Order: sequence, then C-alpha cells, then structure tokens
Amino acid sequence: MVRSRVTFVFLLLVFFSTAHAQTISSIDGGKLYEARCASCHGKTGHGDGEDAGFLNPRPRDFTTGRYKFRSTETGSLPTDDDLARSITEGLHSTSMPSWKSFLSQEQVRALIGHIKTFSPRFTSEQPRSITMTSEPPATPENGEAGRTIYEKLKCAACHGTDGRGAGKIAHALTDDWGRATRATDLTEPWAFRGGNTVRDIYLRFRTGMNGTPMPAFGDAATEPELWQLALFVKTMGRKPLWEMRGDEVANFYKDQEQRAASDIVKHGEYIASISGCALCHSPYRADNTMIERMKYAGGQRWRVNPFGDFVTYNLTPDKETGLGNWTDEQIKTFVTKGIRRDGSRMMPYPMPWPNYAHMKPDDLNALVAFLRSLPPVSNRIPPPVRPNIFSYLAGKFRLLILQEDPPVNNYPGNAGGGAQ
Amino acid sequence: MKTMIKWVGITVIALGMVGFVAFLYFIPPFDFIPPEEISRPAGEAGPNLGAIADPGERAMAERGRYLVTIGSCGDCHATPGPQGPRLREMYLAGGFEMARKGAGTFVSMNITPDQDTGIGKWTDDDIKRVLRNGLAPDGRAVPGHLMPWPAFSNWTEEDRHAVVAYLRRTAPIAHRIPAPLSDAVLSDPAAQEEVHGGKDYAAVNR
Repeated sequence: MVRSRVTFVFLLLVFFSTAHAQTISSIDGGKLYEARCASCHGKTGHGDGEDAGFLNPRPRDFTTGRYKFRSTETGSLPTDDDLARSITEGLHSTSMPSWKSFLSQEQVRALIGHIKTFSPRFTSEQPRSITMTSEPPATPENGEAGRTIYEKLKCAACHGTDGRGAGKIAHALTDDWGRATRATDLTEPWAFRGGNTVRDIYLRFRTGMNGTPMPAFGDAATEPELWQLALFVKTMGRKPLWEMRGDEVANFYKDQEQRAASDIVKHGEYIASISGCALCHSPYRADNTMIERMKYAGGQRWRVNPFGDFVTYNLTPDKETGLGNWTDEQIKTFVTKGIRRDGSRMMPYPMPWPNYAHMKPDDLNALVAFLRSLPPVSNRIPPPVRPNIFSYLAGKFRLLILQEDPPVNNYPGNAGGGAQ
Repeated sequence: MKTMIKWVGITVIALGMVGFVAFLYFIPPFDFIPPEEISRPAGEAGPNLGAIADPGERAMAERGRYLVTIGSCGDCHATPGPQGPRLREMYLAGGFEMARKGAGTFVSMNITPDQDTGIGKWTDDDIKRVLRNGLAPDGRAVPGHLMPWPAFSNWTEEDRHAVVAYLRRTAPIAHRIPAPLSDAVLSDPAAQEEVHGGKDYAAVNR
C-alpha cells in the first residue's frame, strides 16, 4: 500500500515536471510579441504600433529584414545571437529596453522565431557572418593612428571633426524609410545604441548600420585600421553629467545652451518633445495609431467638464487653418499666458499653459522656430461644443460663485480623431 | 396697490434671476484671474533647491525641476481633492484616475521618494527606464497614451538623470496608490459609471 502510494507520488512528480518542461518549450512567440512588442513595432511588424509615431528613433520595421546591429556582412540578415543581444541588452538611449530582467532566454528565443516570420528573407537567405580579427591593445599609438583613419574615411562629414554629430551634411541625412535621422554624437558613448565596447564600435564600421546612412567600411579600410578607428572613437567620449561635480555641472549646462543656440530648430523639436505637444496636437485613427502626416496638425477631441468638447489646434504653419498667420509674439503669448489672438482667454487646462509659463525665453523661441519649420498641413479645427446648458451653468456656478478650484481635466487621453 | 407691489417684486426677482443666469452663461470663467496668478503655483511647487550646498547638485536638480515643470509631470501625478489638485501639500503624490479603452483603469503613481508608497526603493535605472519605455520594475507596462513616455523617447540620458536627481529631492509623501483595475471594469457599464462618473466616457473614448 505504502509502496503504491510512493509510486503514485513519483508518477505525479514526473507528470508535473514534464508538463512544466512542455510549457517552457512551447512558448507562444506571437502572443508574447503582441503583449510586449506590438505597441511600438506594430502587430504586423511594420514598426507602426500605436506609440511609434512619437518615437525618436523609430522602432524597427521588421518586414524588410534590415537591421542595424549585426555581426554579419553589410546587407545581410542578422544572426539569432545578434537579435538576442538587441533584445536582452536593449538599445541604449532609445525606447528599446533591456529585457534581460523581464524575459527568460526561452522567451527571447521564441520572440526571435516570431520576429523572423515578418520578413520572407529569413526563409530564403542565410546570415553571412564576418570573419573578425582579434582586438588590438589600446595603446596611444593605435588611438593616434585611428585619428588619421577618421580623416581618411571622412567620418567628420557627418559626425563632425569634434565627433559631436554636427558635420557638414549631418542635417540632410535620411534613413531608408525617408525619415530624417542624425549622426551619432561620438562624445556620448553611453548613448551608443549597440554598445560602447571597442568591439561594438568596430562592428558598426565593419558591418555598417543597414537602413541608415552609416555604410560599411570593410572595403575602404583594412582590418587593423578599423580596429584603430574604434580605439580612437573610444577616446572621444567625454565625462557624463552623473560624474560631474561642482562647477563642472554649471559649465556643462552653459555649453548645452550654446549648442542649442547653434541649431534652434532642432532644439525646438527637443523642447516640443519635453512639453509633449504632439501627444494632444495630433489626430489618431480608431486603432490608436497617430496619423503621422498630420503630426502637430491638431484634431484631438478633449472633454472638459463642464465646459464641453474642445478640439486641439493645428500647430503647423498653414496660413488658413494653422499658425501661419500668427506672429511669433502671438504664439508665445498663447503658450505662456493662454491668451488668444482676439484677446480671449484659454482655460488653464487641458492645455497646460500655466506650466509653459515657466519656459525659458530661449526655449520658447526655439519652440516657435520649430513649429514654423513644420510642413504646413491644412486641417480646419471645429469650434468647441458645449454640453447641455444646465450642467454648463452648474459648473460655472461652482467655479465662480462657490469659488471651487478648477476641476482637473477629467478625461485625459480620450480624444477622438477630429479630422481624418 | 398691494398686488402691484407684489407683481413688481416678482418681476424684479425674475429679472434678477434671468440676469444672473445670463451672467453665468456669458461670463468667461477665468478672465478675472490674471494669467500670472494662474501659472504661479506651478512655479512655486516643489522643494527649496536653494538650500543645496553643492553647486553641481543644485544645478542638476534645478534642471530636473525645469523638465518636470514644462513636462507637466505634476498635472497627472497630482492628488485630486475636493478643491482640485493639491499641488502644495501633495506635490507629485499621485492618485489621479485615468482610463483608456482596452487598457484598464490606471491611477497615476506616487513619484515622491517615499519608501513604501512612492519610488524611494526604485533604483535610478528603474526611474530612467519608466521614463524611456513605460516599464515598471515589476515588468508591468504603462500605455504610452497615459504616461507619455513615447514623446520622451529622445530625451538625453543626462536630462533623464537630472529628473531623477530632482525627484529624489522632493518631499516623501506616504500615499498608497491602488494597482490598476482590470479591463473588466471598462466592459461593465455600471462599474465604468462608478469609476468615471458618467456614461459619456464611452462616447468620447477612442
């Protein structure tokens, strides 16, 4: 009797352990992708998920099989290990997190299997791995030799002689999808997407970054030269803010201000991203994706009780329907004081102008310059719609007579696509 | 004579009421308050950074405060009260309900450095991560339309660091925030009405 019971428990254990093993090996990569990846990369892998419209840099479009961070020849597919590295380590200074602590190895493998189904290239082609020479020692001579390679390969055209990413043609760079892109600032190694070890840096020259203007230099330079260049780029890194002390910090911010002044449109875009302008001033489709050609063209509907439904304004420089006929002063007055062109006043919400009132004058000027640089989009914004007269009057009574504080904006994030 | 006085009285009261209603209807709600008065609390909220002795840490925290202010963090990470958000005593303590179709109901987090209910136990990297991609340390993801991390994706690492440095300097406030409610709440109209105080939410919710 005892014996049969022991056998039973043993069998039970065997059963559960095999069942457990089965669940691990049969992870549904598609489901995992939908839960963890689709909001940026899109359900169909086109890099067009609901958050994609805001992301800078953009999430990868998996359908072309073009990947930036590889250990394979230029134009070739990445290896599974390359993809696994991007997932587990993340891509620094982008919205692609390191998934190391959130996904198991098996889950990552299942995801890679699913991601590869998005491009038919993975069934017809094989990744062509590079043959990599070994890393030379980081001697000053090798670093100095790298400096001449930096000149020889004309790295400065995009990355600038100081490596800060402001080369002569840097402003005109676009990726394979026709979107503006920028040259990496080589003085900020912590922001190197694919890592900042000498090997990581070497791989970017050797394999190129497919889909971007960064070519592969395998033919233009020898192996030792590429390693020397990597050693040189490694020396370009400056001290990060979190290691600065005392007056270094103030000097750093002064330097940042000077750099901002040298390209105020770019700086204005940065300020717009901090203020989150596009979050509200862009229309959405029913599936929550932004209509990207109308980014900043307004059209989101916001319900603000008890005052009614308000539609966000068109911030593009369109003469008829946008800010085209507004003067700089009018825009700035609106953003910082909530006073419209006709002198009428804006409520302190949902547009948080009371916060923008504290914006520095230089940042405000840059923001205006950026909005002026946008392509004009015609999108006529309808006037606000009031709710029924009783709740409107009751709301005003509470506000003006009972002196209650303004209600918080009731439903943030519930805007409807105003104009499609 | 008496009836006349009575009628005059009624007319005056009626006219007064109509006038009052018309006044309420036409008067713009915020025009009595100068814009500078309205924007003042946003500039005054938060800790006194002038007391930080080290000029480097002070400059960093000030940059963080600037980013938190013009990033409007405090608008959502606010504690609503009967008189509107409690900016002064509950600065960044969270508790503001937001919802989105299909995503459940979310309540804004307490982002003060309180050990138990805020982000006191989060590492710098935890805070920087959620700013970049909405992933909390426990692996939960907050939708990008609620916490606008997608718009923040191009913030520099150094600005992110300044925000962390500033948040660590704010006063810790014990304010427990409930975990997000499930999707079930949104598919049940009665529960929805209870949470959002009105059916009209569904009509305008995209």
